[in-house]
Amino acid sequence: MANIKQTPIRESFAKRYRARFGHLPWFKRYECLIPLSIIILLIGFLLLPPLGKPTPLQWLWIGVFLILLILWVVGILTDIEKPRWIRAIAAISFVFVLGFFFYRYSGAQWDKLTTNFFNLSVMEGLWGDLGQGLLMTLKVALVSMCISLVLGLVIAILRSLNNPILNVFLIIYIDFFRAIPLIVLVVFVFYALPFLGIELDPYISAVVAVSLSYAAYVAEVIRAGIESIYRGQVEASRALGLSSMQTMRLVILPQAVRVVIPPTTGLMVGLLKDTALTTIIGLPELLYKGIQNTIWQSNPTPLVAAAVLYIIVLLPLTRFSGYLETRSKKWVKTAR
Amino acid sequence: MMPEMVPSPPTGGNKTRPSWRERFGHVPWFRRYEFLGGLFLLLLALAFFLPPFGRPQSTLVWIEIAVYFLAVLFWVGIILSDIEKPNWMKAIAAVLIVLVFGWLFYQYSGARWDKLAHAFFNWEILSATGSYGSTTSAWIELLAGLWLTLQLAFFSIIFGTVLGLILAVLRNLHDPVLNFFLTIWVDFFRAIPIIVLMMLIYYAFPYLGITLSGVVSGVLTLTLNSSAYISEIFRAGIESIHYGQVEASRALGLTTMQTMRLVILPQAIRVVMPPLASNYVAMLKDTAICSVIAILELLKTAITLQSWLANPTPLVAATALYLLILIPMARFSSVLENRMKARGVSRALASKKG
Amino acid sequence: MGEDRALMIEVINLHKYFKDHHVLKGLNQKVYKSEVVAMIGPSGAGKSTFLRCLNRLEEPSLGKILIEGTDITATRTDINKVRTEIGMVFQSFNLFPHLTALQNIKLAPINVRRMSEKDAEERGRQLLKKVGLQEKANAYPDQLSGGQQQRVAIARALAMQPHMIFFDEPTSALDPEMIREVLDVMDNLAKEGMTMLVVSHEIGFIREAATRILVLADGCIIEEGTPNEVLKHPQHSRTQDFLSKIV
Repeated sequence: MANIKQTPIRESFAKRYRARFGHLPWFKRYECLIPLSIIILLIGFLLLPPLGKPTPLQWLWIGVFLILLILWVVGILTDIEKPRWIRAIAAISFVFVLGFFFYRYSGAQWDKLTTNFFNLSVMEGLWGDLGQGLLMTLKVALVSMCISLVLGLVIAILRSLNNPILNVFLIIYIDFFRAIPLIVLVVFVFYALPFLGIELDPYISAVVAVSLSYAAYVAEVIRAGIESIYRGQVEASRALGLSSMQTMRLVILPQAVRVVIPPTTGLMVGLLKDTALTTIIGLPELLYKGIQNTIWQSNPTPLVAAAVLYIIVLLPLTRFSGYLETRSKKWVKTAR
Repeated sequence: MMPEMVPSPPTGGNKTRPSWRERFGHVPWFRRYEFLGGLFLLLLALAFFLPPFGRPQSTLVWIEIAVYFLAVLFWVGIILSDIEKPNWMKAIAAVLIVLVFGWLFYQYSGARWDKLAHAFFNWEILSATGSYGSTTSAWIELLAGLWLTLQLAFFSIIFGTVLGLILAVLRNLHDPVLNFFLTIWVDFFRAIPIIVLMMLIYYAFPYLGITLSGVVSGVLTLTLNSSAYISEIFRAGIESIHYGQVEASRALGLTTMQTMRLVILPQAIRVVMPPLASNYVAMLKDTAICSVIAILELLKTAITLQSWLANPTPLVAATALYLLILIPMARFSSVLENRMKARGVSRALASKKG
Repeated sequence: MGEDRALMIEVINLHKYFKDHHVLKGLNQKVYKSEVVAMIGPSGAGKSTFLRCLNRLEEPSLGKILIEGTDITATRTDINKVRTEIGMVFQSFNLFPHLTALQNIKLAPINVRRMSEKDAEERGRQLLKKVGLQEKANAYPDQLSGGQQQRVAIARALAMQPHMIFFDEPTSALDPEMIREVLDVMDNLAKEGMTMLVVSHEIGFIREAATRILVLADGCIIEEGTPNEVLKHPQHSRTQDFLSKIV
């Protein structure tokens, strides 16, 4: 190292401080964290306003309290040397305080929570109605799924023929339906087309709009799947003497299907979610029923119930599609 | 088939009947010009027997039309999928399928095409002022709606990104207790349809005493929804960085924060940009949902104008405006995505070379 | 050997567990200034883990590690300060792909040593010249061959003016024709008197440059001595077995 000039090292204040007090940054040290927690507790018990909408000055105290709390939590959670139970306490108290503040200062009348949001007596006799809405949602979703999958597959196959003239029309189709917000399309089909003499009832309008829109997405996903198959695969199978149909059937499709299924599942879950948009044209699906009953009962319990039903149906499905996607990523990694 | 017409195989074995392909070449029957020409003539003839103009009344007629279209599609598909057919023939086939589709739609959709210009492209109604008690023209109203749409998207994107980043950073602390709550948050907002959440916030919360204005509810809904997606994007970006990068920086004596700032984030941002861009495009599209809570953004303005004017031209114009903005944005985001894929490939090749 | 020289590393009873897997079983070792210690042994013997424990890329489960007299296993020790004195070269190079070769080298001196931009630039170029890549200063890692990347990685480690350098299988991810250029750089470093710990199976390099060889198997040092002793007259049956397989 003789040929390299030795430059003097500038000692910063932080360096000198750390040389004296050890390397832990100040906000992670117990000397700092313990007084901080005492201050936080003091502010929390003495200065925070009671239940109800706070005044501006009280808001300021809430802000100071939150900033100190965040400092405290970050100081603890970013330090892997702190014991587990302290980290767990920090995380829980952080979430708990946020929830508690929302409870206390959002100005909500929590005493009305059960009568307004979870009022089971209001729901009496409405479950059947909501159930019918859910059935309609599922019906629209299933029919649209079938149509959009078939249409998307046809478009993807036509696209894979690589005909320049046909591609112009297909790209126009795909770009158009991917760019237009689905709700605009739904409104357009139901409200604008009748002026042209094309009158479709809400159910048909919903199916047409949703299918046309999702066919474009499906087509793109399938095309990406086909293109993702490594070119060497085609060459290898042709070299083995497989015909182009056999190559497609035995080599490309089995691989493409594995690549395509996870994103397609995600799309279909999205489709099911998006059927809620058709409520705007008065299709009696789940959300529409929830809102109708909310208006009739002048109590939002039916809407809350509809939301809960959506969550119950959709949460497992989103989880499932997410699971498929992570699994396929792993699969792609091992294949490469 | 007469056995004596067949040239006997040189070995003179029991193989007396040559296969069809040996006689007529290897082209399968459906790709032969004899077949395609015949089918073309048949389709041409059948075209004269299709039902007359107007919406068909019976299902049987619908099926008839569908079968005809599928037959044309079949004919076109054969030509396009055969690499040995000349290019001009493929071009004709491609144009033909589009023409036939357009013609069938024109004939049987039941649309009154004479009303097309009056109903859909009625620019006079759009530019006239004062026709419905308002002093401004419908155009100006639509542009005002567009401006509100863009503002909604802008604020939702800003807040959604900040919130998503915070969630991703908290996720990155790998604290099991915190992760539990974060997973609930992300799962909930990914599972619930935006429109349902918006209705809940706008129509149900006031019963609890929490009354938010339309714009605030809209931005809040879009922010909450996108924070879930954006945090997942950021998390994937951070996780995509190879662990060797962290080790190398720690071995050089960089602190955790320096490693994050100098090594992880610059790399993660490149990974994150394409999915983030397409997420922003989706958010701009989702602002249209705000029309259900009486925000006069582009779609709601168009619907209102349509019912005032009893003419769907505003809706056509609004659709055109959406497309005008969203198609370039969607294209841009897919360019970003493709560029990253290409870079990934070149990098993989480079490392293979090395 | 060399008791008069400064003690650089002292390892006392080092244990490492991965869950229930006992990887290092009580290692004791002393390394003095300017030694070049080569570690060999079958895969899974714990060579890399041992090396990575020495700058706490892996947390030691039990035992004491003194680097130039500082106990790095004590929680109050600033491990980042210790790491600046230890260069590390990885099997997979781990260059930062978003930075050019020169920026890779400058990063730590500027941000950790607080060196000025100008000095760092000057030193970066000197080091690139030293590893024979002065014309590649502005190339990104994916534009360099594996051998060039590894030489940049060595220059990056040297930029911190470390007192010792660890090499973790520096040539095993390289094509055969590129191994030489990396070994040459390492050879020169050894001649300049750098203290080096090397995990490698390049017997030629070890024979020439190493002052001492440690043979690890199953988390224990089963044999230790000069290259002459170990390579020519291995005592332990597992060493003989291992050497017969790689030579």
